[in-house]
Amino acid sequence: MSSPSDREGARNVGGLRTEDIEQAEQMLAERAQETAALGERAAPGVRGRRALVTAAWTAPGAVWLLFFLLAPVLMIVLVSFWTRTVSGFESVWTLENYEFLFQSNVYWNQLWDSFWHSLVIVAAALVLGFPVAYFLAISVTSLRMQIALFIVALAPFWTSYLIRAVAWIPMMGRQGALNTALEDLGLISEPLDILLFSDFAVTVAMLQLYILFMVAPLFFMLAQIDRSSLEAARDLGANSFKTFREVILPQAMPGVVIGSIFVFILTMGEFATVRIIGGGQVASVGTIVQTQVASVQFPQAAASAVFLVVAMFLGVLVLLRFSNLREEL
Amino acid sequence: MRRGRWTKRILAVYFLLFLLFLYGPMIVMAALSFQGPRGAVTFPMRGLSLHWWDQLVSGPRADSIRETAIRSLELSAVAGVVVAILALTLSMGYRRRFRADGLLFYLVMLALMTPGILLSLGTAFFWRFMDERTGLWETALGTNVVWGLPFGFLIMVAVWNRYDDTVEEASRDLGAGSLRTFREVTLPLVWTGLLGAFLFGFTLAWNEYDRTALLAAGENTLPLEIFALTVGSVIRPDLYALGTATTAVSLLAVGLFLVVAAIVLRRRARLLRSRQDFAEAATEIPQPEPAGVRASPAR
Repeated sequence: MSSPSDREGARNVGGLRTEDIEQAEQMLAERAQETAALGERAAPGVRGRRALVTAAWTAPGAVWLLFFLLAPVLMIVLVSFWTRTVSGFESVWTLENYEFLFQSNVYWNQLWDSFWHSLVIVAAALVLGFPVAYFLAISVTSLRMQIALFIVALAPFWTSYLIRAVAWIPMMGRQGALNTALEDLGLISEPLDILLFSDFAVTVAMLQLYILFMVAPLFFMLAQIDRSSLEAARDLGANSFKTFREVILPQAMPGVVIGSIFVFILTMGEFATVRIIGGGQVASVGTIVQTQVASVQFPQAAASAVFLVVAMFLGVLVLLRFSNLREEL
Repeated sequence: MRRGRWTKRILAVYFLLFLLFLYGPMIVMAALSFQGPRGAVTFPMRGLSLHWWDQLVSGPRADSIRETAIRSLELSAVAGVVVAILALTLSMGYRRRFRADGLLFYLVMLALMTPGILLSLGTAFFWRFMDERTGLWETALGTNVVWGLPFGFLIMVAVWNRYDDTVEEASRDLGAGSLRTFREVTLPLVWTGLLGAFLFGFTLAWNEYDRTALLAAGENTLPLEIFALTVGSVIRPDLYALGTATTAVSLLAVGLFLVVAAIVLRRRARLLRSRQDFAEAATEIPQPEPAGVRASPAR
């Protein structure tokens, strides 16, 4: 139990009396209030000017994106509800385009094929790309080597996907390099027909074109793993599988999701590769849109495009369920 | 760690196979471009010649190939410059939070995610709706920049994240105006990032087919020409020569950028080292004041 005089003594610090301290505290509080009021009065001006500066910096890019991205995308949605004319479309509302597509079995089959095809490519890219990213990010220990190999693996990104699709032509076909090689090795006796103008050929070519979009995000996520945590897991008695499942995979998950979204979207909307490798035998939503445009069926092409976007959106939603990107990045 | 070493070896072999998968077809294509005059588009090689490369410059299609190549080069260069400028200005805005920053960020990401064929189609509709004619410079430039912008923007955001804001304050304290600070302090520090943004804008436009396809209105770019040669007619080895040449241009651009980046990084590292040496040398100078007393208050 302490007496009042004791308490007074406790606050009597450094020869200052309690009243002095209280007075100073009050003065400080008043000052703080004044400063705050001053700040509030000045704030709108400063904030306004800052906002203006920010607006000036962002305006050119924003306007460009509004003009060449948002307006075109909205335009597609609009046109899909408009009426077809001989030379294009007119702004008379209709649901005919969607009715036509809903009743067209061919279209549904191709949309479904495209969707399924993309998922297969995503899975293949993940399975085949993961070891590559793992090797680059974890097995290679020298930073210089890591950068060099990463550049070598990623350089094809900067080359034309059209050319890389064309480059598959001499590889495939009945007399292609792959068939010849397989025959020379004695693995097959007759040339395989699936190696050109087929779903299989398109899948292989697209995998080569887009696997980089899987490897890169995986690499960036895996490279952030602290190698000592792998050692720690091993020291604590985890085997390779357990280390992989409980240490590496959770870290890599955002990369898996981002890479999958990339590959899925790019292959869903793909058109040129399908045309070159598929040789008109394989159709995708992209080739359908192109065909409809060529026959001046603009509103129908727009409706197909809207379906494509909806399908993509659904696919992305499914992929996002595997990882909460917002929290993990 | 024996097992670790074996894992590493197996992965290394796998990595080599992966590179073979990536580069194999292109190498085969390049090899086949040197077919003899009577050679076909697949193996075997029938002699070795420059016949098909010669076809590129003096064959019947030479004129249109040259024309489209020059047009593509111009378009890609301009697209690269616009991407660099827009990426710079946009990312400058993102150095401070602002009200619509989330929304605008989603718009930039939408640019990354929208399929090229949709962009092409939508822009064609939009222009038709406004009763304007589509054209390479009016519209295709726009859609190609939309493709390169997210990449350039992300590069610049990464640059600003590692950027020291205080140098600009210092410059302003020393009496430089905003413009002068920007030109003499900011730009020299971030120009490698800008070059990277340009590289993305250039190579992506140089190789783009989908985003130009419905907009070029007769003025073909090189990828459009290549597509027409592939799909519209019988393929001959000169297509491989053309493909090899355009790939070489892309890789040359990337290589040039890497060389420049390496030189800049090395110079910066050397500068840093000499600054450290200087600082070390400075601390070794005996201090005139007696120990325990400092001329300026410690921070």
